[in-house]
Amino acid sequence: MKGILLAVVLFIATIGLLVIGTLSPIPTAVYYAGGKSLTRASSTPQDAVENLAVQIRQRSFGDAYGSLANRAEFTEPEFVQDLTGNTLSLRTFATLEDFETQPLHESADDAEMLLKLHWSTVVGPYETTRDLHVVRNGDRWAVDWPLVKAPHVPPQVIPVNYLRWDVIYSGAGDDWGAQDVQAPRIRIVDMRPVNRAEGVVVMGELLNEDIVPAFVGVRATLLSKSGSPIASEGAFDMISHTLLPKQVTPFLIRFPNVDLSQVGSIRMGPISVLVSASADPVVEIENQKYNLDPEASLTGQLSNQSGQTVNIAHVLSTFYDKNGQLVWVAGQYVDRALPPQTPVDFSVQVPEDLAKQISSERTIVATYSSGNSL
Amino acid sequence: MVAVAIHLPLLLMQLPLKSYDTNFHIFFASHYVHHWFNPWNVKWFAGFSQTTYPPLAQQWVAVVSRVLGLNMAYMAVQFAAILLLAVGVYRFALLWVSPRAASIAALAAVLAGSESFLVYSAGQLATTCSAPILLNALPYLYDWLRYGKGRSLLKATVLFAATAAVHHATIIFASMFFALPVLALAWIDREESDETSGSGFAARTVAIVILTAAAIAVVLLPFWIGLFRYPITQTPIPHPSRANYILSPQWGINYFLVPYGALILALPFIIVRGSRVARLRPLMLGFWLCFMIGLGGTTPIGLWLLRRAFDVLTFERFSYWATLLALPILGALVAGLVARFRLKAAVPVAVLAAFTCAMAASWSHYKPADAEDFNVAPVAQWLNRDGHDNYRYVTLGFGNKLSRLAVLTDATSVDGESNSSRMLPELTKYGGGALTDAKYFGTGGLESLRAMLRHADRYGLKWAIVRDPYYEPLLVFAGWRHVDNLDDNTITIWAKDGVPPATPMNTSQMPPPWEGYLWGTLPFGSSILAILVVLIPDKRRRAWREDEATVTPITQETPLSGRLVS
Amino acid sequence: MTLPQTVTAGSAFSVPTSGSGPAVLYIVGPDQALRRDVQLGNPVSIAAGDLYNAGEYLAIIVAGSSSSSGELEVTPAPHPDTLSFLATPSRVPVGLHNGINGAVYVFDAYHNLIVTPMPVSFELSGSSGPSQARTITTSHGVAWTEIDSASKQGSAKFIAQAGGIATTRVIDEVPGDPCGLTISAQPDGAKLRVQTALVRDCSGNPIPDGTIVTFTENYNGAQTTADVPIKKDIAQIDMPAYSGATISVASGVVAGNEIRWGGGR
Repeated sequence: MKGILLAVVLFIATIGLLVIGTLSPIPTAVYYAGGKSLTRASSTPQDAVENLAVQIRQRSFGDAYGSLANRAEFTEPEFVQDLTGNTLSLRTFATLEDFETQPLHESADDAEMLLKLHWSTVVGPYETTRDLHVVRNGDRWAVDWPLVKAPHVPPQVIPVNYLRWDVIYSGAGDDWGAQDVQAPRIRIVDMRPVNRAEGVVVMGELLNEDIVPAFVGVRATLLSKSGSPIASEGAFDMISHTLLPKQVTPFLIRFPNVDLSQVGSIRMGPISVLVSASADPVVEIENQKYNLDPEASLTGQLSNQSGQTVNIAHVLSTFYDKNGQLVWVAGQYVDRALPPQTPVDFSVQVPEDLAKQISSERTIVATYSSGNSL
Repeated sequence: MVAVAIHLPLLLMQLPLKSYDTNFHIFFASHYVHHWFNPWNVKWFAGFSQTTYPPLAQQWVAVVSRVLGLNMAYMAVQFAAILLLAVGVYRFALLWVSPRAASIAALAAVLAGSESFLVYSAGQLATTCSAPILLNALPYLYDWLRYGKGRSLLKATVLFAATAAVHHATIIFASMFFALPVLALAWIDREESDETSGSGFAARTVAIVILTAAAIAVVLLPFWIGLFRYPITQTPIPHPSRANYILSPQWGINYFLVPYGALILALPFIIVRGSRVARLRPLMLGFWLCFMIGLGGTTPIGLWLLRRAFDVLTFERFSYWATLLALPILGALVAGLVARFRLKAAVPVAVLAAFTCAMAASWSHYKPADAEDFNVAPVAQWLNRDGHDNYRYVTLGFGNKLSRLAVLTDATSVDGESNSSRMLPELTKYGGGALTDAKYFGTGGLESLRAMLRHADRYGLKWAIVRDPYYEPLLVFAGWRHVDNLDDNTITIWAKDGVPPATPMNTSQMPPPWEGYLWGTLPFGSSILAILVVLIPDKRRRAWREDEATVTPITQETPLSGRLVS
Repeated sequence: MTLPQTVTAGSAFSVPTSGSGPAVLYIVGPDQALRRDVQLGNPVSIAAGDLYNAGEYLAIIVAGSSSSSGELEVTPAPHPDTLSFLATPSRVPVGLHNGINGAVYVFDAYHNLIVTPMPVSFELSGSSGPSQARTITTSHGVAWTEIDSASKQGSAKFIAQAGGIATTRVIDEVPGDPCGLTISAQPDGAKLRVQTALVRDCSGNPIPDGTIVTFTENYNGAQTTADVPIKKDIAQIDMPAYSGATISVASGVVAGNEIRWGGGR
């Protein structure tokens, strides 16, 4: 009898623990289940939006599409393309790491919800925001997805005959002193260290003075007042590494947890390598506007002038005060690909405390096109 | 013979090479081949100490590789572990059930899904080598507790030490699930036979705990010193065995359905039988607890009991231990069924067991550790020529081929597969696993990769060897140049300009020479000693009382007691 | 044994010995060692080309348990055989004072640096204009000079000559920064086609294709920019056509003119 009782207790305990673990899962289990909480009946607008976000996170696009109220307005592939991009882009590489929902307005039959999606990508996290209209359908709520239709590039032939430089280096068997092609001449034309809450930031601009393309990088070493090195960092992705002749790139180097008062001097180490390169693609930056409200940001559109799709674009902006002095350098990856001749929006955020000092800006675009790396 | 028939062909085909961890163990073994007394390995993490992982199984692979080569040596050691498991399960099961049931349990161990899963899919050499040694130690523990035999104390202590020398997690966690039921069994049997006083029993318990702890402390001294100097403080790395298998059914299949297989059908009966028979209750309770923890995040019990360790451990090994704990009761159940229904029971049970084993053994084919098999030899050749190995490298998209490449190349890497051996802050801070698989660890993995690429100069990291174009945008925007293609352009080499040649790093973490000598001597010595002491014959041999040698049908409620007589 | 004080690298010489019986002669020096079995009393002949590395040598003769030693200096051959000519940069802007450096290391046939002073002539001759020449005497085996780049672009031959041996390097004299950068605009459908005049440096050399020209259009607080490579001596781009917009141009650190688009220029 005692044995049976023990078995019953263990069965009940097992079932109980499984129920607890499933209804109130531990954080790790939630992570692997794909969301903040489990999908449940969409009995409120919040539930409907959260369920949709969980399905997007799990990449269950079919289920997500099936849950939409306005799915008759577009096809499932169009919905998937809206989320992942219709060609290779940052969206294609992105995984939804987290999301936030915020109710904006609710009535008995419909509601407005804000959905903030935090994406993780290989080049860093980014965030997208969607204003969602949620409608009641019987005892359930469903989301009207605000589909952004991908621009259609009409069939056409775009003649492209931009330059390309190729390099032949000296061979391994050549004697010492044999002539080789020289690394491009580059010059730091502006440099300024600033103290920020997170540490010292060294920013500036680098010019390719040569007539050949340069693959560049900048490294800065902070030296103490006694001359000993404090820290050494590089610009990493806050620079355009390929510089065509006479092109200028901004750079920004972060030194976390260092205070400028500790720094006696800064040793800058620009490097340049002669590389094969192409003058293509040319990206025009249209309608740049510096906005103070609601957040300090530079907005505009990128227009790819070439015939080849740019898969990922990195916008780098240099901000100056009214005296032309460097105030800040900021960058932003664009999550959509740049099809030929089609403007794509971008927005570069500026720290609020610097926003009012800014009087002018200069923007360049670094690009990645799949299959064009060698 | 079943083990030979089933596992030998699979091992001769080197099936475990497709698993997650096999190449990791072979990489460690390859270091012992060349540097037996120097555990400092420069090939990963810009230099790390192999004293961060118990060495015995890998040292045996290194020794056997002198004859068979590394791959086959691994298979030989794994095969020996499977054979030893059958013996260990039989001896362990004999403590609880009849010889016939124990034989069936031993047979079931060879066919167990969790064993095949760990051998062929997970590649957990250390877990699958340490469990058999532990199982073989437990009868000596029982003998010592019951009868106070000095030889049993010696054998148990040495075997426990050898278990620790193979795998620390087994001795720390599994020993609780296995040893405490044996302790309870010895106490129950003591009460029935009234041979030993309570205080004597307690004294023996304390004695063996102290002796074993001391032996383990000495055998793995460099490991403990390393753990004390550099406690594991890194951000936990996600592992799907911690998922809820109901909410994430894909992981439920992987970590529950495949390892347990047809044993799932027997689980209710194991609980009922283990509850009804008083003598089996400690074993059943140990099984139940281990089983529940083995469910990972399906229940909160693992997190409640293990606390922070929950985020460090992986739970497929708990399922493995739970299977081993269930085998004696399963053996008794099957023996009872066969005794009662003969072929009508034997045939379906055999079919189910075979299916379980087949499914688990073939699982690495259906859910391979690497999506694609590819040859890393061209990469190793590239790294080994023209002074490329003067710099460090990182692979991206190589999966567990990272270890295979490390075996073949002289070049050193900032990455590696041994999470507990990592000291570089870029690797420990963000909660990512190996950099080569960074994208599978979400933001944490990618942050870790970006941090490492950002500090390429610091580590002499000049080469990124890429097999997954996913990482190309990062390399392009971070200032790496595509410089070469390998293997029909499926592998691309990227270089960072201006990086100084790699210099020795982490030297403060380098163990002193005396630790290297201990590491090369004591763990391996413990296994030699274990072999020697096991060969010492027991004075009193176990025998079954005739009346209990017969199989108890499962309908019979008579408790099994006083199984062992001296 | 009687050793010569100095020997020219690669030349033959003999070492007289005294006494009798067999012995072994060792000559050990920088990156080279010789061993000869000798009969004491006979001179030891070292053939031409056997001892070729310049520097201090130690000669030891060993006979049974006794030995004697002496020192010997091997000097480089007096006649140059190769010139290592380091000419930098490989590309230089036109009209740059002392913009071209040349350094010559003079070696003999055995790659010994000839340290005795020796005249080296440098000559830079371009595709146009007069050539520049000067003669520098080597010091410790090295001669070094600086020469102005020409005012016209093109490939220039930079020749170093010593002892009848000449080595040539090619220096690309390339245009400098753009000078007098000007743009004009004309409507092109809904857009405005903005293009530069022929882009040249201050010496009138055309700026190479591919050089980046930055166009900036400001209108009503909004800005449009594009980095455009020069193609066939001009750079052009289509920009939004806003009446009243100002458009400026720059290349590198050189700014050009600014125009206002509003029906007129």
